[in-house]
Amino acid sequence: MRRWNRRQWMAALMVFSLLLLILVTAAGLSFEEAAGVTDFSRRNLAPCPEYPFGTDFMGRDMFRRTVTGLSVSIRLGILTAAVSAVIAFFLGLGAAVLGRGADALIGGLIDLVMGIPHILLLILISFACGKGFWGVVIGISLTHWTSLARLIRGEVLQLKESNYIKIASRLGHGKLQVALAHMTPHLLPQFVTGLVLMFPHAILHEASITFLGFGLPPEEPAIGVILSESMQYLVMGKWWLALFPGLLLAGVVLLFHFLGQGLLLLLDPEQAHS
Amino acid sequence: MRGQTCEDRDRRKRSGGRAAAAALCLAAALAGISGCGGQENAAGQGNAAGQGNAAGQENGSGQESALGTGSRGTGDTQSVVVVMGPTSEPEAGFDPAYGWGAGEHVHEPLIQSTLTVTTEDLEIAYDLATAMEVSEDGMTWTVDIRDDVRFTDGEPLTAEDVAFTYNTLRDTSSVNDFTMLREAVAVDGDTVEFRMNRPYSIWPYTMAVVGIVPEHAYGPDYGQNPIGSGRYMLKQWDKGQQVILEANPDYYGEEPKMKQVTVLFMEEDAAFAAVMAGQADVAYTAAVYSDQTVDGYELLAFETVDNRGFNLPAIPAGTADESGVPLGNDFTSDVNVRRAINIGIDREEMIENVLYGYGTPAYSVCSKMPWYSEASQVEYDPKEAGRLLDEAGWTVGADGFRQKDGVRAGFTLMYSAGDSVRQALSEDTANQLGELGIDVTVEGVGWDVAYDRAQSTPMMWGWGAHTPMEFYNIYHTAPGGEYARYSPYRSETADAYMDAALESTDLEESYELWKKAQWDGETGVTQDGDIPWIWLVNIDHLYWSRTGLEIAEQKLHPHGHGWSIVNNVDQWSWEK
Repeated sequence: MRRWNRRQWMAALMVFSLLLLILVTAAGLSFEEAAGVTDFSRRNLAPCPEYPFGTDFMGRDMFRRTVTGLSVSIRLGILTAAVSAVIAFFLGLGAAVLGRGADALIGGLIDLVMGIPHILLLILISFACGKGFWGVVIGISLTHWTSLARLIRGEVLQLKESNYIKIASRLGHGKLQVALAHMTPHLLPQFVTGLVLMFPHAILHEASITFLGFGLPPEEPAIGVILSESMQYLVMGKWWLALFPGLLLAGVVLLFHFLGQGLLLLLDPEQAHS
Repeated sequence: MRGQTCEDRDRRKRSGGRAAAAALCLAAALAGISGCGGQENAAGQGNAAGQGNAAGQENGSGQESALGTGSRGTGDTQSVVVVMGPTSEPEAGFDPAYGWGAGEHVHEPLIQSTLTVTTEDLEIAYDLATAMEVSEDGMTWTVDIRDDVRFTDGEPLTAEDVAFTYNTLRDTSSVNDFTMLREAVAVDGDTVEFRMNRPYSIWPYTMAVVGIVPEHAYGPDYGQNPIGSGRYMLKQWDKGQQVILEANPDYYGEEPKMKQVTVLFMEEDAAFAAVMAGQADVAYTAAVYSDQTVDGYELLAFETVDNRGFNLPAIPAGTADESGVPLGNDFTSDVNVRRAINIGIDREEMIENVLYGYGTPAYSVCSKMPWYSEASQVEYDPKEAGRLLDEAGWTVGADGFRQKDGVRAGFTLMYSAGDSVRQALSEDTANQLGELGIDVTVEGVGWDVAYDRAQSTPMMWGWGAHTPMEFYNIYHTAPGGEYARYSPYRSETADAYMDAALESTDLEESYELWKKAQWDGETGVTQDGDIPWIWLVNIDHLYWSRTGLEIAEQKLHPHGHGWSIVNNVDQWSWEK
């Protein structure tokens, strides 16, 4: 059998990551009901064959809770990353295409958002929007677009200097038309990669603000909730409450990372031969 | 920290990509991506590190306060280190006007003396007072005080100081209600007269928590530098960490056995860690820790009236109060529903499940108090509960839940987010009522919205005080309002009994009236009455106590797992 090259390995890893993520999401959806069930007759159990991740102080099955929590995180991550990437795309494009005034305005906006510590801004927005699911979604969406927007703006500035774009505008195409019809296809690879690489951040930030108590409500099986609850039981030696959810969160973030790396490798012409 | 390993790798890999990209202008675009990725990672790491630091600092300060104090390890037999929760630290200092002693959680003020004290069975005894008299109409209280008491700055404590204290509290107390007091007047050096706006028979219970402050040394910073005549003096206060109290050498009463009391403020888990490290002599703890054992410590459980229960709005939905808060709940407005819920909950099982056995069943907000009516008690009877619901037309549907005219039997039960005991009680309530065919959803809420939402949605509350006034606040129609304050309910009869109880001139007699407000044989707020609140459990207050420390007999602790434990710290002692 012929040895696989790096691209093929990457593609395989990507497919594997994708399948795992889909599996976790689907499993989480199907566990949603069972994850919240409390049964005091089985509280505080250490991991055992029946409850591989143990149970908590109200007898909730930590395996189901963790998977459901991850599923919530993944869905929330996809939603927020998508919204964020779309904001980034249009602001980046707008900054480069709509002239100096718009560029200065958007550049200022990017600096403004980047200038405030991420988590602080996130907490402020989430809190102002009434916390909960939508607070988190809005908070993460509005804070994660800056870098990608800056990148796309740079891209567009370079594209603007290329001959075919200049020709297009000489031929009378409007700014918007040039941007959408001629520039967008060139920007898509960066955009998609940027989008995928935004997931891990979105997920970690969701977990962080929920952990700090400004995110999802405490009865929701979210990873942040699980981890912050587990803190007070660590001192009692109930390690399983934090270990497995924490590991799985790291695992999911890693999977998204592989996905992004794979995508970068496959879409990047520069690395076509590695 | 969780994401850091992967982010590190992320950055290393892609910075390599960046170098290569810079060489090729054709691929400049893609280099841009890696640049962005790198930046974003850096930001991400910054955040992660920031959080880590914050957490580290918190832990650090917790440890510091634990380490910064001596303990039993020093061999000092006249000092004790007590750990309480961070919320027990008096934010505004040791000023009775801002809730010290006479606040949301009542306790003896230690630094100051009070006119009266509550005894172990919650009757009234004297501290500064030597005699107490109330006029026929209940409008004037005359109290004689001791004339041999001095503040710790050497000045004598006079009736002037007492009058000054009460008038100050009446004008400034934001925490306690003093609207019943018109004015306090010093008649002579050792007699003070309280002139009331309305009769208030339970005034002695207020007098038991109001610490007397010196008129000559009272000012805006009194809370930081309190001067009193009590058993202890404030020696040191490191905000956010600890309070050190030292025995008052000139105390007029029995000399305190404990010469120094150090109070540390820590979260539950830090408190437990301090116990494991041997840095505390007494530390509060919660039932979830009760299966742990620590060498050299024993677990003490004190009975309380620190109860948990939930309100059931007793009027149908559809109305709102003047500020637009919706009132009432269609399901819980049915009295048979409320009665069924009250007897459909197995409190013993709940105590076992949630409190690990450390609690007593509650049937009233004032269990075991002198004004508690035995009529409140009910037996767990799920069959009868089912029958009541059936009779009221709530029949079991195909999905196992009851309904009536297409309305599903159920409600949302709120608890204050972050309180794991209330959360567990709510979940257990939901499970138990689920068996009755009532669909209960549990929701964690913040206190910012809880009070308003509780007007239409049941909420898990915690109460328990050494005064019948709490019973009044919960069940009596709010002054100027249409319904009781915390949950819509109104009963003319109960109101009349409570008013009569406050007007009564004899404390013993008023107890009987308070009992009648609960159940007079025909109506009331108990099972056979309107039952607008369901009481579940009284939570035992648990403490880790170093072996050899003899903690004096405790009176029933009120709500608030804090300063009550040291009410009589002056009588504690170490085994020789």
